[in-house]
Amino acid sequence: MKGFNIRWALLVLALLLAVPTVIHDTFVLRVLTEGIMWIGLAIAFDVIAGYTGYLNFGHGAFFGLGAYTVAILMMRANWPFALALLAGGGVAGIGAVIAGLPTLRLKGPYFAIATWALSRAIQQLALMMEITGGPDGMRLNAFLNPQFFYYLMFGVVAATFITLWYLLERAPFGLKLKAIREDEQGAMALGLNPTKLKMQSFVLSSLPTGILGGIYAYWITFIDPASTLGDLVSDQALVMVVFGGMGTLIGPVIGAVVIFAFKTVFWAYLSEYQVLYLIILGALIALSVVFMPNGVWGTFMGAKGGKRQKKQEAGKIIDVRAPQEEGE
Amino acid sequence: MELLPQALIDGILLGGIYITIAIAFSLTYGVMHVIDFAVGEWIMFGAFAGYYLNKWTNLDPFILLPVVFIVFALIGYLIQPVIHRVMSGNRGNPLLMGLVFTFALGLMFQGLALTVFGFYTNSIPSMFSEGSILIERLGISVTIPTIRLAGLCYALAITAVLHYLLKKTTFGLGVRALAQHKDAAGLMGVNGKRTGAYVYAIYVGISAMTGVLIGCILSVSAQMGSQYTIFAFFVVVLAGMGYLAGVPWAALLLGMVQSIFLIYFDPGHTLLAVFAILYTILLISPRGLFGRGV
Repeated sequence: MKGFNIRWALLVLALLLAVPTVIHDTFVLRVLTEGIMWIGLAIAFDVIAGYTGYLNFGHGAFFGLGAYTVAILMMRANWPFALALLAGGGVAGIGAVIAGLPTLRLKGPYFAIATWALSRAIQQLALMMEITGGPDGMRLNAFLNPQFFYYLMFGVVAATFITLWYLLERAPFGLKLKAIREDEQGAMALGLNPTKLKMQSFVLSSLPTGILGGIYAYWITFIDPASTLGDLVSDQALVMVVFGGMGTLIGPVIGAVVIFAFKTVFWAYLSEYQVLYLIILGALIALSVVFMPNGVWGTFMGAKGGKRQKKQEAGKIIDVRAPQEEGE
Repeated sequence: MELLPQALIDGILLGGIYITIAIAFSLTYGVMHVIDFAVGEWIMFGAFAGYYLNKWTNLDPFILLPVVFIVFALIGYLIQPVIHRVMSGNRGNPLLMGLVFTFALGLMFQGLALTVFGFYTNSIPSMFSEGSILIERLGISVTIPTIRLAGLCYALAITAVLHYLLKKTTFGLGVRALAQHKDAAGLMGVNGKRTGAYVYAIYVGISAMTGVLIGCILSVSAQMGSQYTIFAFFVVVLAGMGYLAGVPWAALLLGMVQSIFLIYFDPGHTLLAVFAILYTILLISPRGLFGRGV
């Protein structure tokens, strides 16, 4: 990945590791923990959406699956947190296999709506079942240790990032996924098995999402179908990835940081205008798609199509802002 | 068991309406290669347009249908170039971008509707709302509400018009050519950009008109949109992608499922049943009920 400097990454890692030793304010730690969680959700979303080209509007459903699994196992079966968390990731992964079996045979757009319908179905299931507490949701025993959750969230997200970075940017796996995104039939002609690869990418995207959902449940201590299984998780992950830059790993991180900062400020000052938030999210996605389809990272920084490369490859890369005439 | 014939009749009457949405929806897909995530929101906006127009003018919603069609067709005609722009040019992943864009539109529309119309549920009064026809034969009694019958007549009329437009006119020939092969159609002198805009306009207009009917028969609320997006998708996938002849059957099946859930189970679980059916059929026959889709 061009423009991605390993020294900078290590510096950021070290800084984030040192944060809880310097800052003891619970509120700040809480905001940072949630921000890190969103970074994890955004990069996981990008695996299937950006790299493979399949939009998963059921991202929130896998997040909720992890959260509910942990909540049910801990409260109803008295499992320890660590085991329940592993189970949460496992359930999300298995859920991805089951959901992917018929839907990943569909072409991109159909996969998108099928996963959307799936998330709605799971939400309704959680609303009507008894074990999930129905519309009242579930309450978990509180474990009040902000440092613990900070480091746990940070560890999981960092591990996810490094794993994905290795698999998608260093190993052939990422190239295979990109081949499917660019031309599925062409990829098949090269001897790749698209259905299998798509399934692997779907599981790779859902597993960390489920684990993050599990941590979220134990951390927030209250989950209900509206907040955990609603569309908002998928919508926010989508806006982060599209805004930051699809098909890269740094893009979603930038998107997550910017959008999450905006969200925090918005909810702090304008919490009575919840609906306005929906409109702003929609407008942000639409404007990003129209004016910078490569996202912030792709348009302004070192990645493909960035300003620096543009000078060298002038003529190859077309300025996205110039209106393009169709040859019809 | 006495309720079963009633449920089936209700299903047919309701399913008829979905035919119109699904045909327009799959037509748009065929020509523009974009799944419009905002389809449910167009229905919702149409329903609200019908609701407010009816309130202000006191005219029957059935008389207002052409007005709604013209207004929304114009809106669709104006929006389509933006979608076209998102999907053309030298961009990576035009299909994905189109999808993300219409999804964003849907999100904005829903937010707007919630802001403007609030969270209330209304329904549109019509001259057909009151009456119903009672049929009693062989010990089975079935009531047919006039409004639903009128809805079915509307659906048949729209389907007939679309059929005529597609099969008998030059415009329809162009549309079918574009659906088959975009570039080749362009070489044969079909203006893809303009035809796309017309098709999108027709589709938005029909969705909005159908929204008015749904408002008469069921209800109007700002949150109704996403359910109908899923319904439209359900019908199109079940029929088989791009296989228009399968659409009516799939739409009728959806109507049946919905009315059976309304009568026998909790109507809140309809989406669950819809998804279960979709899942099973995709697992067994990914190319739709008839195996004729793409």
